[in-house]
Amino acid sequence: MLATTVALAAEAADLVIAMPNWPSGQATANILKLSIAKKFGLDAEVRELGTINAFVGLDKGEVDIQPEVWRPNFEDLIKKYVTDKGAVVLSGRAVPAWQGLCATPEAVAAGLKTIADLSDPAKTAVLDTDGDGRGEVWIGAPTWLSTGIERVRANSYGYAANVTLVETEEEVAMAAVDAAVATARPMVFYCYAPHHVFELHKLTRIEEPVHDPAKWKIVPADDPLWITKSSAATAWGTAHFHIAYAAAFGKKHPDIAKFLEQVDFSPEEVTAMSYAVEVERQTPPDYAKEWVDGNAARIDGWAKP
Amino acid sequence: MRKIGLIALAAGLCLGPLAALAATQIYDARTKKWVDYDKRKARQYFARNKQVPEAFRRQVVPFRTAEPPGTIIIDGNQHFLYLVQPGGQAIRYGIGVGREGFGWAGIVRIGRTAEWPTWTPPPEMVARDPNAAKWAAGMPGGPDNPLGARALYLYEGENDTIYRIHGTVEPWTIGLDVSSGCIRMNNDDIIDLHSRVKIGAKVIVLMQGAALYKGV
Repeated sequence: MLATTVALAAEAADLVIAMPNWPSGQATANILKLSIAKKFGLDAEVRELGTINAFVGLDKGEVDIQPEVWRPNFEDLIKKYVTDKGAVVLSGRAVPAWQGLCATPEAVAAGLKTIADLSDPAKTAVLDTDGDGRGEVWIGAPTWLSTGIERVRANSYGYAANVTLVETEEEVAMAAVDAAVATARPMVFYCYAPHHVFELHKLTRIEEPVHDPAKWKIVPADDPLWITKSSAATAWGTAHFHIAYAAAFGKKHPDIAKFLEQVDFSPEEVTAMSYAVEVERQTPPDYAKEWVDGNAARIDGWAKP
Repeated sequence: MRKIGLIALAAGLCLGPLAALAATQIYDARTKKWVDYDKRKARQYFARNKQVPEAFRRQVVPFRTAEPPGTIIIDGNQHFLYLVQPGGQAIRYGIGVGREGFGWAGIVRIGRTAEWPTWTPPPEMVARDPNAAKWAAGMPGGPDNPLGARALYLYEGENDTIYRIHGTVEPWTIGLDVSSGCIRMNNDDIIDLHSRVKIGAKVIVLMQGAALYKGV
């Protein structure tokens, strides 16, 4: 019975939008669904899919749109399906993303403003949470690729010598930020944007030398010794994410392809999506309906022939 | 979280004698300053005021978080337990924690709860302490039972971590690091918390005891 219903729904839809498992991707998938229905009269099915499966679907003609493709994270998929096969098109516009270290207001007040400050044991002592006199810095969840790179950066910059690098789940780290802010305690931690934590708390990014590819030598993580073999003593390079759509869909619906090329969410809007879904616990379809109702002129502009 | 089992074994059962007391500090919300707080001060304060310092009393505080209401957040370093409430607030309780903190950080849940729980002393305590030996088979719940009025049992998945949030018969120890790994609260507070939590509630233990993660 369930299978029949799903099959009917899939048949009834004019197009399929992949939906990733993070909040801004979920909101965007639903905003695109409602905007396309409003401006082009087509009915889209929003289907939960990871990025790899979404690309396979885009290639096979089973998926038409993927709302957030992160670069450089999925560069391999982009090379295969966009550059080599020509089966998928990346929208020319992208939302800039960022990652690095953040400080709570009390950490800034304690003199922790630049990456060089982190190498000063007298300054980082205020970050001590376990009474051993050394500060702690959360560098990410144990499963993230970025966590290993943060360890490389701490070694390369030198502050690994005077702070304890902590790896634990993101929820634990975010709750620690909440508790630190609630009691006016200093904290420095890995962070990335767009992210709802910037809506919850007043945070300052730790200043670093700009990204320099010549000083960023990351050995592939399939080498067990990659962390000790790597070095990275500059800021991360800028990341981006794009909307992607199937080339065949673009040919069949050039007007919608043009519309997708015009969608220009700002990082602030993406943060607001993340906040609404993750903190305010709005469902992505409800949030999308409110967004589409409140941004009619914007959507008209994207759809202008 | 995979570390819990190991650390629990290393630490033994978490309710030991209140022997050694490490120095700690308390946060004064009015002056926004941290002041030294130790066993002597704690006893003096309690004798004089019949309650713990204001910072450790149950109170509603502003608390902005992405965690849903009903989540418990334990900050062993600052000796606070937060129960997240709607509207950017939390109920904050003072807690006593182990000398070495909890020894781990991570996410667990309330697996079960008990009113006036039975206390079973760990075997090594039975061996060295005749008073504890008396209760080797389990001390029934009551006003002298060291687990106090209520216990919340922390589970990881379906498994009891052997860590508990429980009451105490020694209320002046709230705010101190004593030689046990559990989270203790005044009986009034644990009764209040027990009345508000649901089985399955998420419990986030913050990173205090981060030294555990050295060299990971």
